[in-house]
Amino acid sequence: MSDKDSHSESITRYEGPGIEERHGIVPTWLAIVYAVMFVWMVWYTIVFWTDKG
Amino acid sequence: MSTTANAMFEHGPATPRVYATATGELFDRALILRYMAAASFWLVFAPTVGAIVALKFNYYDFLGHISWLTWGRLRPVHVMGVVFGGFSTAVIGLTYYIVPRLCGVPMYKERWGHHIFWMWNVGLAVGFISLALGYNSGIEAGEFPLWVSIPVEIVLCMLTIQVLGTVKNRTEQRLYVTLWYLTAAYIWTALNYAFGHFILPYSMPGVNNAAMHGLYIHYVVGLWITPAGLGVAYYFLPLAAKRPLYSHKLSLVGFWALAFFYPFVGTHHYIYSPIPYWTQTIAIVASMMLIIPVWTVVANFYGTFVGAWKQFQDSFPAKFIIIGALYYFIGCFQGSTEALREMQRLTHFTDFVIGHSHLTVFGTFVIWATAGMYWVTPRLAGRELYSKNCAQWHYWLTVVGFSIMAFDLTIQGLMQGTMLQAGADFVDSMSAMKPYWFVRSLAGITMDIGAALGFWNLYMTIKHGKLIPVPPGAPANYLPEPKWS
Repeated sequence: MSDKDSHSESITRYEGPGIEERHGIVPTWLAIVYAVMFVWMVWYTIVFWTDKG
Repeated sequence: MSTTANAMFEHGPATPRVYATATGELFDRALILRYMAAASFWLVFAPTVGAIVALKFNYYDFLGHISWLTWGRLRPVHVMGVVFGGFSTAVIGLTYYIVPRLCGVPMYKERWGHHIFWMWNVGLAVGFISLALGYNSGIEAGEFPLWVSIPVEIVLCMLTIQVLGTVKNRTEQRLYVTLWYLTAAYIWTALNYAFGHFILPYSMPGVNNAAMHGLYIHYVVGLWITPAGLGVAYYFLPLAAKRPLYSHKLSLVGFWALAFFYPFVGTHHYIYSPIPYWTQTIAIVASMMLIIPVWTVVANFYGTFVGAWKQFQDSFPAKFIIIGALYYFIGCFQGSTEALREMQRLTHFTDFVIGHSHLTVFGTFVIWATAGMYWVTPRLAGRELYSKNCAQWHYWLTVVGFSIMAFDLTIQGLMQGTMLQAGADFVDSMSAMKPYWFVRSLAGITMDIGAALGFWNLYMTIKHGKLIPVPPGAPANYLPEPKWS
């Protein structure tokens, strides 16, 4: 397992409530959604800034 | 376990006021259970008012001859009742449980808790009576008159101080995502409530007032209901799944994306209005960009449950969290896309919008708060859930009733919008909606029966649930593991 993998799999425990959380990753499909939404945001803002668009 | 804490388990919340520091516990069991009972009451009361309001669409004269039971008086009671009565009371009670446990110290100024409880609940009761009597500030979701707004604002400020003070005094170094959401929610809401109740009704006339009202109402949804509900759900999610949270990184992205995009959403209710075009465009873009935090949260929730689906069968908090996440995904996607100009043209002034608001406020956040109530109540009472069957009925009547209602409102909204776009007469479009309204009322009544059963069950759990034996030598903060919750 690479350092990157072991970091994303590392688990933090909150003793009080007994909650554990993985450091985790952003899944690839979700990163693609972020990228598509960002491109759409720039395009829509420029094209529809005024009603002359 | 201390003697006083044992007494709490044996006698339930009827035990005289017990402050956390007096028992060596982190939290005040009696106070939290009292909040759960009050939230249960409001969560039956407000939706029942909603059912009466819904029936008036089909039966115009139903209770119409009594002024305080007319549609215009009851509708704000329903909206304010669900938002501030049911949801917020549950969240405040759960805050008194969650924040000390995550911080490792008792709530800051914990003696304020009981004063806040009475100020909040008496304030709400006076507020609903005032609304029924016709005293209304005229700001949607901010309709309480001044004599109610002032104590509510004081309560919000006191709660904000308590949460911030507890976070400052914490012994746990890391801040779990729930603390970010709850802290932000209280700060934002103390400011937004003052804006909506003390500034907006008395300044900014005309279209500016409408624009700012759009901001206020969406800050109630996006900067109170959403972060407070997410904070509660994130706390109980890994506990109910009995697994680690899927991704800390995703929880960071979700929080900051919400904090960045939500403040710009407000004016999306005023597309095609005299508000500047670029302002409308920013609101549309911000609404669509909310897809990022919503999908991020949903990915994190379902990622956590992968491999733990058995919990869905065995645990009522898990059931409510999972179904709430599904409604969150559907409702928020609907909300984002309905901001688009083409969708606004079709859906504005139709029940599509009402379907969306119910999917998010009730379907998601009230249901997540309910999950928290199912987790906390038996543990703090030290008793088994009174009736598993009742809880099952609560869950399934809610799911079936609510799914029908949300689908019905969405379809009727699209249908009415299509009729109006095709040039149909407005009155004809209203007449065509009658069967849908009737189905909506029946679905709402189904949900109400479920809620009444569920919250009666929680009350009976506190009063008469089977006591869970406390192991000898258990620590002061010991919490039992009841079945089914």
